Amino acid sequence: MEELAISLKNVTKNFRIYHEKRNSLYEIITGFFSKGRYYEKLCVLDNVSFDVKKGEMIGIIGRNGMGKTTLLRLMAGIYKPDAGSITVSGSIIPFLGLGAGFQAEMTAKDNIILYGKLLGFSKKEIEEKVGDIIQFAELEKFQDTKLKNFSSGMYARLAFATAIQVDPEIILIDEILAVGDIGFQQKSHEAFLSFKKRGKSIVVVTHDLNTIKQNCDRAIFLNDGKIQALGEPDKVIKAYTSYFAGLQK
Amino acid sequence: MKNEVWKKKSLIWDFAISDLKNRYRNSVLGFVWTLLEPLFILLVLYVVFTNIFKSSIEHFPLYLLLGLIMWNMFVRGTQLALNSIHSRGQVLSQIHIPPEIPSISSSLTSLFMLTFEMIVFAIFLVVFHFLPPITAIILPLIIGLEFILVLGISLPLSVLNVRFRDTQFIWTVIIQAGFFLTPVFYKIDILPKQVQNILVFSPMVQILNFAHDAMLYGTLPTSENIVIAIGTTFVILLIGYAVFRRLSHRIIEEL
Repeated sequence: MEELAISLKNVTKNFRIYHEKRNSLYEIITGFFSKGRYYEKLCVLDNVSFDVKKGEMIGIIGRNGMGKTTLLRLMAGIYKPDAGSITVSGSIIPFLGLGAGFQAEMTAKDNIILYGKLLGFSKKEIEEKVGDIIQFAELEKFQDTKLKNFSSGMYARLAFATAIQVDPEIILIDEILAVGDIGFQQKSHEAFLSFKKRGKSIVVVTHDLNTIKQNCDRAIFLNDGKIQALGEPDKVIKAYTSYFAGLQK
Repeated sequence: MKNEVWKKKSLIWDFAISDLKNRYRNSVLGFVWTLLEPLFILLVLYVVFTNIFKSSIEHFPLYLLLGLIMWNMFVRGTQLALNSIHSRGQVLSQIHIPPEIPSISSSLTSLFMLTFEMIVFAIFLVVFHFLPPITAIILPLIIGLEFILVLGISLPLSVLNVRFRDTQFIWTVIIQAGFFLTPVFYKIDILPKQVQNILVFSPMVQILNFAHDAMLYGTLPTSENIVIAIGTTFVILLIGYAVFRRLSHRIIEEL
């Protein structure tokens, strides 16, 4: 049997959609006596099960608001599922979107150290890696620049470089890959390959179908909280595009 | 769960330091304010209670300063905790951090500030030529008990204030009332006996009595009072943690 990095079994996640968000105690008390519930349940993920194998890269596609980011947050342990179970083997999972825990008022270098600490590394461990990260992100000139002066491409490069150089067992990526230029995309492709070769896993959420085609071993098409298609990237992309063609008719 | 907190323990320290830095950011005097703040309040209370109300407490300035420092730790710790999760919403919704960490670190911040203020107290001891009795060595234990109390209240406050934003206003009122119901500027025995019988169950009352007696009058707490103080503190911690566990489940979504 192949070793699993992440295993999701019948995961269900509901959100509360507040019609009128009642934040204060007074509103809760008055709301208690008035009729009707003040929030609706929105089922974002409905009975989702799949596995991520060690050394595998999985891409998740789907329309906006279909639960892709929620799925990543569940895997990262930020949200807890309402039903089902999520088993993660491997210590750290950075959840990586634009702005993930970075502070605009701090320099690139300080942000790397802060980010590493947020992920649970000691200051010493992370300080040893700062040079590599800056080099990988091609930001040598800007290591002491405050992040608020970075372009969005530089920002994404820094976030990606930090995550990959920190060398976790599993990496979760949300929508940042398309930002880099061709040279950086080539580099990140190579980084993915060497990462996978060492038996590590990647889950990526993106709208860039090329990334999925080139890098992923399998893909998932998520629609209305359910897995619509799972398997070979080509097949899943086909299902996705034909679904869109169906919508336009 | 506990294991996870332990793994990210360096974060507790970092959050506490950044809380301290944020407090005095953009202020000219910076850390000096930690020392000046209690001194100004001391000055006001001292003038009021020596000239207007004529306090008969022995070593009154020292009594008042020690009371203020101990009380301040309680106020600051719990008030920092109120916004500890809320103000870190952005980070907490991107990276999984055990929700206990913000309130543990805000409690730690209040402990740091108490340590700074104790320097002021030490200076006062010299100025007043007062040599603390040998019983003063139990002060760290009393402060340790107060830290557990602050933590036990901070944990539920940090999540309650995300769920119900009124918590911060209610807590401010409780703190105000608490200041007058705790022997910071008076001695507990001036109160009617019935009131005293109720107030013994306030851990802050016990903690302040312990500190005053040990530091200034060379008296150790009675074993009965020790049992009450430790008992109530741990009951608060247990209830607080239970509330925290119940509410922290969905807390990131509520941010």
